[in-house]
Amino acid sequence: MPILQHFCETLYHSGFGTMLRESNNAFSVIESVHVLSITLLFGTIAILDLRMLGLVLRTISVSSMARNVLPLTWSGFAVSVMSGFLLFWAEAEKMYANPSFRAKLVLLTLAGINALVFHSTIYRRAHEWESQHVSPWRARITAIASLALWSGVIVAGRAIAYF
Amino acid sequence: MSLHAWFMALAHSPLGRAMQNSRWGFAVVEMVHLLGLAVLGGSVLIVDLRLLGVILKGESAITISRELNRLLLGSLAIMVLSGIALLSEEAGKCYYSPAFRWKMVLLASAVIFYFTLHRQAILHARSGTPKFWPRIAAVVSLLLWLGVGVAGRAIGLL
Repeated sequence: MPILQHFCETLYHSGFGTMLRESNNAFSVIESVHVLSITLLFGTIAILDLRMLGLVLRTISVSSMARNVLPLTWSGFAVSVMSGFLLFWAEAEKMYANPSFRAKLVLLTLAGINALVFHSTIYRRAHEWESQHVSPWRARITAIASLALWSGVIVAGRAIAYF
Repeated sequence: MSLHAWFMALAHSPLGRAMQNSRWGFAVVEMVHLLGLAVLGGSVLIVDLRLLGVILKGESAITISRELNRLLLGSLAIMVLSGIALLSEEAGKCYYSPAFRWKMVLLASAVIFYFTLHRQAILHARSGTPKFWPRIAAVVSLLLWLGVGVAGRAIGLL
């Protein structure tokens, strides 16, 4: 048996996983926290992306926006990863084969790589372009990729329940 | 026509029929509803955290609010339209759902608050007056919108 599948089954059948799955309220409450934290994550990063595209808040510099908004994005990310892991724990055996869950993990990875590329390349020279109303094309590409990938994460995440 | 009759009319409308008979309709509209929620949540949060003086302190609250107003109302419109489609699938159930009733009351309160007292608070935030009222308005706004979300999530559970 593949090691990942074994891992998923161990989680699924663990006492804690079973408790989460069979509880009346725990799963729903964690799910609500997950949705709210994703709202925090996506809502804040989307506004930074739209700023770089020159669609909102053009008069505020991109670095000022990033400094103010990214801590919120990271908080949302941290809470959604933790709540998401608990949801996964409860349903791990089913998640292993769920195509939407797999798609969501791939999209999450791509969103992470996109953010890494942005921060390690174009954003390093942000002082040269931070005040421009519309950011340089390389920043705009990562902004569009970010909007598309995070939307994909939400869509794939919602679809998990339908498989 | 009673309120219940309106709900029934929506359920039996072509939109309701289409939603009830389609395999993926509900899921797709739900996804749109969630994407709208994320953008609405982000806009509300940025405006209210600025009013609270937590973020973007060096920038004008009026500018931020005016700029994000379009985004906020645009995503709200997407949520209302997708919400009507979701409602049409199970209007009969929603009519009796306490969570749905709470959500509508909170939504109406949040929207009215946004266009009245919240707007006043943003105008106050600029001048040198004490920042007490803008902060209260920001907290009330955050709580109202959070309440809409929580009640909405509860519709599927209660």
